[in-house]
Formats: sequence, C-alpha cells, structure tokens
Amino acid sequence: MKRRSFLKGTLATGAAAVAVNAGLLTPSTVLAAWNKEAFTAKSTDAALTSVYGSAAAAASGDIQLKAPAIAENGAVTPVTVDATGMTGVESIAILASKNPVPLVATYAFSGAAMGYASTRIKMGETMNVIAVVKAGGKLFKAEQEVKVTIGGCGG
Amino acid sequence: MSIKIRMRGKSTGGVAEIKALIKHPMESGVRMNKKTGKPFPALFIDTVTVTVNGAAAVDSQWSGAVSANPYMAIQVKANAGDEIKLVLSDNTGATGEETIKLK
Repeated sequence: MKRRSFLKGTLATGAAAVAVNAGLLTPSTVLAAWNKEAFTAKSTDAALTSVYGSAAAAASGDIQLKAPAIAENGAVTPVTVDATGMTGVESIAILASKNPVPLVATYAFSGAAMGYASTRIKMGETMNVIAVVKAGGKLFKAEQEVKVTIGGCGG
Repeated sequence: MSIKIRMRGKSTGGVAEIKALIKHPMESGVRMNKKTGKPFPALFIDTVTVTVNGAAAVDSQWSGAVSANPYMAIQVKANAGDEIKLVLSDNTGATGEETIKLK
C-alpha cells in the first residue's frame, strides 16, 4: 500500500516537472507542487536560484528577522520574519546556512495574506539564519547569526 | 491517517494573526538510527496552505528542517467571523486539515 502511493507520488511530481520545463504552467500555478530541487540543494545560493531564479538579494533593513542570539536547543529555534513594513511582498524564504539542506521553508502570499511568517526550525550548529523576501519582483534579505549550544540532530 | 492540528486566530483592527500547532514527528531523513546504522526514513510535512473564506492566502512549502511538532504563525487581513482553513500534507501523502472562525 505504501509502495503504491510512493510510486504514484513520484509519477505525479515527474509529470509536474515536465510541464514546468515545457512552459505549460506559469510559476503561480506550480506553487502547489513541492519544489524538490530547492529542498535538496546543498548551498543557499543553489536553493535560492531554484526558488527565485536568482541568488542576488539586497540586504534590507525593512525585514525584521527575529531569532535568538543563543539557541539553547538547536532542534527548536524560533524564527520570525516580519516584512509587513514592505509593500508588495510576494514570498518569504527561510534558510539556515550550514544545514545539510539549507532551505527550511518557503511561504508564498496572495490575496489577504500579509508578509509575515513565524516558525521553529532545527539547526545542527552555530550558523546564520537568512530570511529572503521577494517584494515587487526584487529580492531582499536579512541575516542573523544564531549560536547553538546543543545540536538539533540527535547530538 | 490524519494529522492533528490545533489552530487559533484573532482579528484586531482588520489584521488577524493565526497560530497553528501541528502534531508531527518531522523526521528529516538525515538523523541516524544508532542501532541499525541507517538513517531514519524521512517523514515531514512538505506543503501547507491557508485559505481565507475559500480564497488562497498562504502557500507554504517546508523541508525536514522545521522542528518536530511544528508551530506556525501567519498574518492575514481578515475580520472576526471570517473562515480560516489550513490544509497540509506530508511526504508520505498523509493529510490534515482544520477550519476555524476568527474571533
């Protein structure tokens, strides 16, 4: 039963990838499909290029990135990205620079949504948390170092 | 198998903050099982969508690096009484959903 649903899943994502390559689907309709390339990319730049088509993000003081300076437990690091001060926020991506897979989460906003996301992430060691905000077609970022005293990966 | 979600939302001045707690192990696929020497198989929530009165608002994708029993908070423009629906699924195809009316 599990094997069957796994096969089904891989076939479906394969078909979606083909459709994207052929330019049949616009990016907004593809959002529902999980971005496998971005979530397996080993570097922050590769992950960003996969999500946004570019890794060139300008540092911005308008993004409020809230993360602890010292995380006592790296397995639960609270991170809040508040970009409600910016106009035309389309999406937010949260990355942890030294994780095996840096991209942690992406949030795409439409309709009533505001540029705000809060979550808790796992961090294996001391590293930078990077928040990338796409607003008005441009990429902006904010970074903060978080010191991890206990790793998040079973230590 | 449905995934358990607890969700609250309150609107003040036209802006609502929605908070959700999800019960899920969020196994990244990297952590090693010391007894067998092999990694625990990946099991994590990969897509989360939130709609306001049926209209798409937030479309989120996660990796296994989101903490176990994930917490998420978002903000939407909505008033008391508006219907917020959260739908999520993990990489094995298990799904969960929760609907609330804003206070």
